[in-house]
Amino acid sequence: MRTLRLPRSPKVLLGLGILTFFIIMTVIGPWLAPYNPSATDFLPNTGPSAHHWLGTTSLGQDIFSQLLVGARATMVVALLAGLVATALSMTIGVAAGYLGGYTDDGLSLLSNVFLAIPGLPLLIVIDSYLPVNSRSNAFVIGLVISLTGWAWGARVLRAQTMSLRNRDFVEAARIIGEKRWRIMLSEIAPNLLPVLASSLLFTVLYAIGAYVTLAYIGLTSTSVWNWGTILYWAQSNNAPLSNEWYWFVPPGICIALVGTGLALVNFGIDEFINPRLRAAGLTSKQRRSLGLPRRVRLGFTPVLRSARPGVVAPTNAQAASQ
Amino acid sequence: MTDPLHVRDEREARDSAATNTVDRPTSSEFVLEVRDFSVDYGVGSSMVRAVSDVSLNLRRSSVLGVAGESGSGKSTLVYAMTRLLRAPGVISAGNVMLNVTDDHGNALAPVDLVRANEKELRAVRWSHVSIVLQSALSALNPVLRIGKEFDEVLKTHRPEMNKTQRRERAETLLTMVGLDATRLDRYPHELSGGQRQRIMIALALALDPELVIMDEPTTALDVVTQREIINQLYELRTRFGFAMIFITHDLSLLVELADEIVVMYAGQIVERASALELYEAPRHPYTLGLLNSFPPLHGARRELTGIPGSPPDLADLPAGCNFASRCPYVMERCHQEEPRLTALEEGGRSVSCWLQVSGASASVPVELARTPRVKRAHPTSEEAVS
Amino acid sequence: MSAPESPTVQLSARHLTRHFVTRTPGKLRNDKRVVRAVDDVSLDLVKGHVTAVVGESGSGKSVLARMLARIVKPTSGELILEGTTIPSRAKRTLDYAAKVQLVLQDPYASTNPVHRVRHSLERPLAIHGAARGNIDALAKAALTRVSLEPPERFLDRYPHELSGGQLQRVSIARALCVQPNVLLADEPISMLDVSVRLGILNLLRGLCDDEHLAVLYITHDIASARYLADEIVVMYAGQIVERSHGTALVDEPTHPYTQLLIASVPDPSDPTSAATRGESPPIFEVAPVGCRFAPRCPHAMEICRTTDPPNFQVGDGHVSHCWLHADKPEAVVEVALPERRREGDTTKR
Repeated sequence: MRTLRLPRSPKVLLGLGILTFFIIMTVIGPWLAPYNPSATDFLPNTGPSAHHWLGTTSLGQDIFSQLLVGARATMVVALLAGLVATALSMTIGVAAGYLGGYTDDGLSLLSNVFLAIPGLPLLIVIDSYLPVNSRSNAFVIGLVISLTGWAWGARVLRAQTMSLRNRDFVEAARIIGEKRWRIMLSEIAPNLLPVLASSLLFTVLYAIGAYVTLAYIGLTSTSVWNWGTILYWAQSNNAPLSNEWYWFVPPGICIALVGTGLALVNFGIDEFINPRLRAAGLTSKQRRSLGLPRRVRLGFTPVLRSARPGVVAPTNAQAASQ
Repeated sequence: MTDPLHVRDEREARDSAATNTVDRPTSSEFVLEVRDFSVDYGVGSSMVRAVSDVSLNLRRSSVLGVAGESGSGKSTLVYAMTRLLRAPGVISAGNVMLNVTDDHGNALAPVDLVRANEKELRAVRWSHVSIVLQSALSALNPVLRIGKEFDEVLKTHRPEMNKTQRRERAETLLTMVGLDATRLDRYPHELSGGQRQRIMIALALALDPELVIMDEPTTALDVVTQREIINQLYELRTRFGFAMIFITHDLSLLVELADEIVVMYAGQIVERASALELYEAPRHPYTLGLLNSFPPLHGARRELTGIPGSPPDLADLPAGCNFASRCPYVMERCHQEEPRLTALEEGGRSVSCWLQVSGASASVPVELARTPRVKRAHPTSEEAVS
Repeated sequence: MSAPESPTVQLSARHLTRHFVTRTPGKLRNDKRVVRAVDDVSLDLVKGHVTAVVGESGSGKSVLARMLARIVKPTSGELILEGTTIPSRAKRTLDYAAKVQLVLQDPYASTNPVHRVRHSLERPLAIHGAARGNIDALAKAALTRVSLEPPERFLDRYPHELSGGQLQRVSIARALCVQPNVLLADEPISMLDVSVRLGILNLLRGLCDDEHLAVLYITHDIASARYLADEIVVMYAGQIVERSHGTALVDEPTHPYTQLLIASVPDPSDPTSAATRGESPPIFEVAPVGCRFAPRCPHAMEICRTTDPPNFQVGDGHVSHCWLHADKPEAVVEVALPERRREGDTTKR
């Protein structure tokens, strides 16, 4: 493997920071929660205060505690669904792409069917058939979500595999007598890592959305706290209408932040696989002092300032800024 | 425009105009003058110098061959000269003067490509300097018919031409490179590698440039196709008189095609000579090694060794001569001092090797001496058996 | 070399033919067309010999190599490995992989960028049943065999850390790991720098001379074939057009196509080098009438356009597929068993 190093891009660092924050929240959130999130011990409908940072619900529950406790269920389900869906899409995508023929036809048909069926309604249908007690089970919900979320990744991985299977190193492995499953696993799969990572990020994102939606429309157990259930209770108690923003805005922001974090980290994967993006890692200050343009343009090789002693103003920068 | 010889007439007219006009600025005898040119990859601590201190002149209508292994900097040099080198390539020193003439043969003010801004560059590219790349398949847009490519170029640079004229010009160009005019209606994937490369050459010549740069245009092709294209190029060059820079690793091809050859090694020019002199009497051990790397078609078979070892890491160049570790004639001095490209007494050639410096401690080995080596190595049977 | 023992044929191909069916997309009904990539090629690979196959791209030489390695199935014809006939439709076995190995053209593409050199060598060893404890030692031995020394320096490198020449040596070492008797090399030097090409050729020669492998060397460079080979075969449009033992074919080419190939090689010592203007080799979809080279041939006669020539014996072990030599006797044996003939054995060792 290539040596791992911390990406220099501020975008990626920000993304990593956000995700780290939420992962810590997932792990220690429930312990940090000041109160039992389900306890209806407090004055209902109070705004943010020193005792209740995010106020209380109309049942007198502490919203901040709900948010902290809810992080765990949300993140665990999302991660689980993301992992399972990525594993599914890899198995199906690589097998379809490498084996070809009828296997490919069958598996492609399957993933096309899953792509064509709108995910959310399917999810709702499957979910409504689940026994009620398993609706509070994060693993069951995670599996159900992953079932609707693998198809897109499978298509991308199938296409990648098809371009890899004709590469010489795959042929070389066949020549020495390597078995097919081994070629898929040890020759092709490692080359798919960047795509897999990216696919994982987006399935996690999808899973958060799906889980929150399910909870929001009340299809998961409303007694298990996650960000969606907070929204469910806020909605059913008319919080948006009665201007109780502190009830529904914080979970919304959390969801948006996790999504942003995932997307930002995805930039890092681009930078990681594309060495050309990696090479341009100079700060703008360094660039200016060397007389380099702010961004590299195709068909216009930059010239170091030292190579142009007669030029007062860097013509490149002018040309670039026009 | 219908006359296939149209371009030549125009060129002749231009030439005669040039001789008749007295008060025009005298155009330099060189179309391109490169001085102390250096190119880096990256800046700061991760910088690698890919081309270092290269100077060369390209006479009008002549063919300059640039030879060297991969990583020798030959392509980097030429791409950077035309400012086409991609990031992280950076020009770190030197200048590149382009002396071109306008459509009427009047010399234009010399352009320093290193200092030129984007507008100035755009004005000389394609019209005066054009380039043919190694991979014609990736250079042609797969969704455009060939004719469209020509049309676009002519529309941009020759706005005075109308549609029919452009089509006629494109047909003329295709005929010039030995292709049927009906190929204009084809897509790139419908053509063979050789045909695509011919298209690229026709495109490069579309605006009648004074300098054409060829980056290994025949490396991906078969010998027979390569031969046809080389012959074609030779013919076109004689007809239109453009100067050419031809990059390749195939030294024997260059000897046939080029007037002058520079051999590059680890980012530097190690030898410069006329093609024939370089072939008959190479003066740098690396040139000799390259020439001996091609199994001959005639004579007894005997074992050849090529050049042992591999090119040095540009990020970690040794002290002294860069070639020392692979050189069969290496001396003490080679590990300590770096040789400079110095002119030899005879015939405008230069070489960067301690063996060739007057007062060298060791005697010059016979293979690298001034006398031409045997024109074709016909080893005697005793030699062959050993 | 000591006096030659009687030649042992390791692998023979008899009447190998491969047709590809292509479909022209975009039309309502798919246009099925049959491309005859390799047509009735017979060949013997002999222990301790290098057989060179020379041809342009599209001549079918790579398809031939892949059929010999049995990763492409022939449409018809058979392979005979050490006297045992292998039916053309049978599945490739591990046993066959252990006897016949193929080295691919582009060393950068044929090694997996995510795996170290070690992986490339240890996998074939493990597949072909080397004892677990021996694998490391065997991998090092393989690197030593291809002169990558010291082997420890190379085992844990990634492909991008090696030069093209070194990487091609790794590819050869990978093939050697299974201890094959036949080594097929598909243009092993065409992607490499000029200066390291000879090193690879000399390595192949050494494997042949010292370890008595049967080597098939596929190339488009006739000069390197002359340098290396004991037998040279020229292919055009899927057919063998000329073959000879030793260098006879290059020194006195009898087929117009061979003559064209030789004239096209850049040769600074020969100012008269010239070429016939011609199209690229045609791809024959239906069995062509007459000689395949006739449309490009400067000597084409009436008969060339109507009847495919038989093989004529133009010299000792030198066969030409051309009507120009109709005065010579027809070659009797379909494949003359090459004898070990090397003019005074001048090449080496």
